[in-house]
Amino acid sequence: MFDNKRKLPTSEWVFIICNTVFLVLFAIVTLYPVLNTVAYSFNDGSDALLGGIHLLPRKFSMKSYNVVVNKEGMLVGAKITVLRTILGTVFSLAANAVLSFILSRKRFVFKSGLSLFWVITMYANGGMIPVMLLYRSLGLTASFWVYVIPGAVSAFNIMVMRTFMAGIPDSFEESAQLDGAGYATIFLKVISPLCKPVYATIALFVAVYQWNSWFDAMLYNRLNPEYTTLQYELMKLLSSVANQGGNGNAGGKTEAAAQTITGITVRSAATVLTMLPIICLYPFLQNYFVTGLTIGGVKE
Amino acid sequence: MKKKIISCVMASAMAMSAFAACSGTTEPEVLETAGPAPTADATNAAGEEVFSEDAILDMTMFSAMPGNEINSGNDIQERIAELTGVRVKETWLTGQTAQEAVGSIIASGDLPDFIDGGDGMAQLYDAGLLVAWDPYIEEYPNLKELYSDAEWEMFRQDDGHIYWANVFCNSYGEPKATGHNDEAFWIQVRVLEWAGYPEIKTLDQYFDLIESYVDANPTMENGTKNIGYTCLCDDWRYFCIENAGQFLAGYPNDGSVIVNLTDYDKPTIEDYNTTQITHDYLKKLNEVYNAGYMDIDFATQTYDEYIQKLSTGAVLGMCDQYWDFAYSIAGPYAEQGLDKMGCDYVPLGLVADGITEQQWHAYGDTLNNSSGCAVTTSCEDPAAAFQFLSRILDQEIHDLRFWGIQGEDYLVDDDGLFYRTEEMRANWKDETFKANHCCTYSYMPQWLGTSHDGINAMQPQEQASEYYAGLAEPFANCLKAYNAGGLPDMIGSVKGVEMGFWYPMYSYSNSMTTETAGGVAWERMGTTKHEWLPKVVMSTNFDADWASYMDAYAACKPEDFLAEMQEELDRRVEMGNANS
Amino acid sequence: MVLILWLPLFFKEDQCTMSKRKTAELDITKVKLTKKEFKRQWGLIFVAALYVIYGIVFYYLPLGGWIMAFQNYKLKTGLFHSKFVGLAKFKFLFEDDRFIRVIRNTLAMGIINLAVTFVTAIAFAILLNEVQSRWFKKTIQTISYLPHFLSWIIVCGIIHDSLSSTGIINEILLNTHILSKPYNFFAHPNWFWPIVAFSNVWKETGWNAIIYFAAITAIDPALYEAAAIDGAGRFQRIWYVTLPSIKPTIMILLLMNIGNVINAGFEVQYILGNGLVQRVSETIDIYILQFGVGNMDYSLGTAAGIFKTAVSIVLIFIFNQIAKSQGDEHLF
Repeated sequence: MFDNKRKLPTSEWVFIICNTVFLVLFAIVTLYPVLNTVAYSFNDGSDALLGGIHLLPRKFSMKSYNVVVNKEGMLVGAKITVLRTILGTVFSLAANAVLSFILSRKRFVFKSGLSLFWVITMYANGGMIPVMLLYRSLGLTASFWVYVIPGAVSAFNIMVMRTFMAGIPDSFEESAQLDGAGYATIFLKVISPLCKPVYATIALFVAVYQWNSWFDAMLYNRLNPEYTTLQYELMKLLSSVANQGGNGNAGGKTEAAAQTITGITVRSAATVLTMLPIICLYPFLQNYFVTGLTIGGVKE
Repeated sequence: MKKKIISCVMASAMAMSAFAACSGTTEPEVLETAGPAPTADATNAAGEEVFSEDAILDMTMFSAMPGNEINSGNDIQERIAELTGVRVKETWLTGQTAQEAVGSIIASGDLPDFIDGGDGMAQLYDAGLLVAWDPYIEEYPNLKELYSDAEWEMFRQDDGHIYWANVFCNSYGEPKATGHNDEAFWIQVRVLEWAGYPEIKTLDQYFDLIESYVDANPTMENGTKNIGYTCLCDDWRYFCIENAGQFLAGYPNDGSVIVNLTDYDKPTIEDYNTTQITHDYLKKLNEVYNAGYMDIDFATQTYDEYIQKLSTGAVLGMCDQYWDFAYSIAGPYAEQGLDKMGCDYVPLGLVADGITEQQWHAYGDTLNNSSGCAVTTSCEDPAAAFQFLSRILDQEIHDLRFWGIQGEDYLVDDDGLFYRTEEMRANWKDETFKANHCCTYSYMPQWLGTSHDGINAMQPQEQASEYYAGLAEPFANCLKAYNAGGLPDMIGSVKGVEMGFWYPMYSYSNSMTTETAGGVAWERMGTTKHEWLPKVVMSTNFDADWASYMDAYAACKPEDFLAEMQEELDRRVEMGNANS
Repeated sequence: MVLILWLPLFFKEDQCTMSKRKTAELDITKVKLTKKEFKRQWGLIFVAALYVIYGIVFYYLPLGGWIMAFQNYKLKTGLFHSKFVGLAKFKFLFEDDRFIRVIRNTLAMGIINLAVTFVTAIAFAILLNEVQSRWFKKTIQTISYLPHFLSWIIVCGIIHDSLSSTGIINEILLNTHILSKPYNFFAHPNWFWPIVAFSNVWKETGWNAIIYFAAITAIDPALYEAAAIDGAGRFQRIWYVTLPSIKPTIMILLLMNIGNVINAGFEVQYILGNGLVQRVSETIDIYILQFGVGNMDYSLGTAAGIFKTAVSIVLIFIFNQIAKSQGDEHLF
């Protein structure tokens, strides 16, 4: 962005060095739990029970990966997960973008009311049972579409996109309008190209959400193995080996916890395996918000 | 809150499951008589009558417990399907509580054929989604003999029908238990060996022994620091600190209360939380803690950390249920040879005064009527479902479920005794092997105790020869020194106490809800104990903190809870008298 | 197929309304629904109406379940035949000291978490943006968002380990003689909220920063050049260019998250909590699980849910109005 050849003042150098050191330290601190997980995933299960594994496995073993990969239903689960991630992301991105476009039109008459309508959906929910009854009557239970349709429009994503779109100077829209463009043209040809960073962000959010979802698979497709998801299969594997977080309570109600807990290595292997595809996807999306956006076209 | 049932679940060779397509749903109907059941339609190579693939019914089962799914094409599952004409795909609890799961299953309208709702069982009955067992109990002797008439009555609901049967803790013939699957103060055999196998009867003796051992041996051979005593307080597992009071007073595991039998015909409910014995026990822990012999992280450790700690072999003693720690540490122990170093735990039957007879060990069966295996109204062919439940109790199929295939999974010696080789034992511990080969249908009717052949145990973990084959030398020496044939002898509880019809009372307190004053009090007492028990143990001024604890406890209105427990006790006693 | 429903957007505004609009452009804060406006915007209105139908079906219809809070809901009798008990469930909640305490805990942790995660994410995004090397930027960014994919069980396990009496933190404190004997962080209620806040920062900073990266990307480089020419230093550029440019994004996220302070979470507190600190660790969600779902009392859980929604919406309204009156970006 700036002319590097110009001689930098000392204070700039101090800043650059401090900043770099700080960011590297931060990266190390955040990388630690990930490396620790990787180390555990390659460690022998019962040896891992002793704890004290940090960056390297103590007793190397691929068994945890074997357990995960050989779990039945993984293949179907992977297929459904990929499908729902692709379909869900495309559908949701399109749906959110169109609504955000509408809400970001400064002259739109219901702007305020419609925003409020969606904001409320973020905080109010009817609970598990009414939602279940609704989906059942809509025929969404025991089907693939329950993964894609209900969550497609999300107020959070809309608000983020709307803000971004509202920040685009009006002059772009006006000059297009003078050229005789309708809303669709403005949306597709003028606004969307400028929204690549926010589209990439929302696409990432939705894709990660879809990729990691398992609760819906369990609730709505518990007895339909053909619609299982990758994460649900993994959750089944994990809750059979270790039972924590959300189940127990003071009355001693959760009984099965006394399973042999070789869980941590399997859990780690499952985590590593599911992280990989998303990590691979990231650099592509990242390009849209690491490089500065050159706003070409209209110069005022 | 100890649960005998858990112990049985744990002891029964862990959960397995099956695979099949789901069945559709039909209109619910209440069958008053048993319908015709399918019959075999083909013969196999060995000339047995079997079911062909087309004739095999695929069914589903949901158990509101975490468990392992098994793979489709599982050897033993296929074999059982051939023989019985039914294949059941089992699914398990994942990331929900039992009640949530059952609630969502009911709301979704998508029910499996078989269900064990665990804590959510009552909801299924409330929603009218279960098929009555009654006609089938009469039709199938295998099912009928699971329980005596009086025991079956315990399962009868207020509409006059029986909808489920608990499948655990039920012995056929003579009980075969060799382990102590219950709670105890545990101690490592190396400590007993070092002290020349003394007789330990009281808490004072127990902690004196541990303290003098730590003083003499601050570290293990490998340099790890010995930890005298630890005590798990994590979440529902805080029974490790909470429960000792009732046992130290010589009472059996009613879990939430003591049942005083001074007047046998009119037993009364008592609270063990406020007794002098409980006070003395906590005061003792407080002394041990302040003297530095107790793990300083005891109150904040998670279950995982607790197991990690035990797995190093450094913890000399603790109070816990066997199933809560033993299965988890077995792997690391074998790995490090800790069992050969005398780090195995044996139970001690401590009582407050050293004289009272104690009942840490529960002999015989414990009937928990609050949940069990049920058939739902979504099952298209209940007749076939019940026939299946009956068939899998046939000795031949029961052996397939728990012992496996003869020649592959177990061998038979000249006396007809089943045994396994090292390799077979290892196989049955291997998750992948189990998923492809073993199918126990672990939440369906089954037996413990003695096989119909009168020689073997129904389930391998109760086979004495198998048990002793796996003992390390220091452990065996210890048993010998105390002249004990197994852990029940080691702990030496009074034998042959006939449990009343009320036992165990925890089956009632566990089902309490906030709709009653007693249920609210029960929930609040739990919260208060969670906070105060570790607090008084860590206290620097025990008496003052104990007084504050008692005030906080009284504020929870335990009397409401006790009154409701007394009501239930009276009801059970009356019902028991009516049936006998 | 669904795309057909978006078709109205393709109709053009007619030229004549276009030119008239020019004059009205100056005052665009509030546009009244007149016949003219309707004619001009019917495409937008039609599509927006479809979204409203969708929203009503998937978000507002299930709110009918709120009726459970006023019933003694039983699965057998269902929504339509369960017995009505009026406000009894709410009364139970607000007469319980413990519920009042969990509200305090929830709000306290919600606010602390919001404050620290917010500041760290923005600071991280801005500091990273100051880095010149694209390679370095990309690497750090990729690393920073990885912990988001770890489950809380794993992250909390590491935190619990590090803070135990034999953990690394105690080891350092003992070796530097700051402490003479190991300190048990989880036994002291004072430490619980900071530990939870730290856990959130650790796991989510990189992930939360992604939105700000996107917003920073959209800043016109010309602005920086102009600032540089005016002699602005690095901090001045951050203060006068970067921050104001991403302010709308910051405001919107802040407003949305303020509505969420009542949802301070469940898992972290559940996993890290214990009996000794339960007075400060229990959140509304844990309370509901224990008292509501754990006891099959769906009505109680629903009542608590309604309470949470009410708090969120009141907070949102208050802060939205404040933002509006300050002329800042607002939600509605």
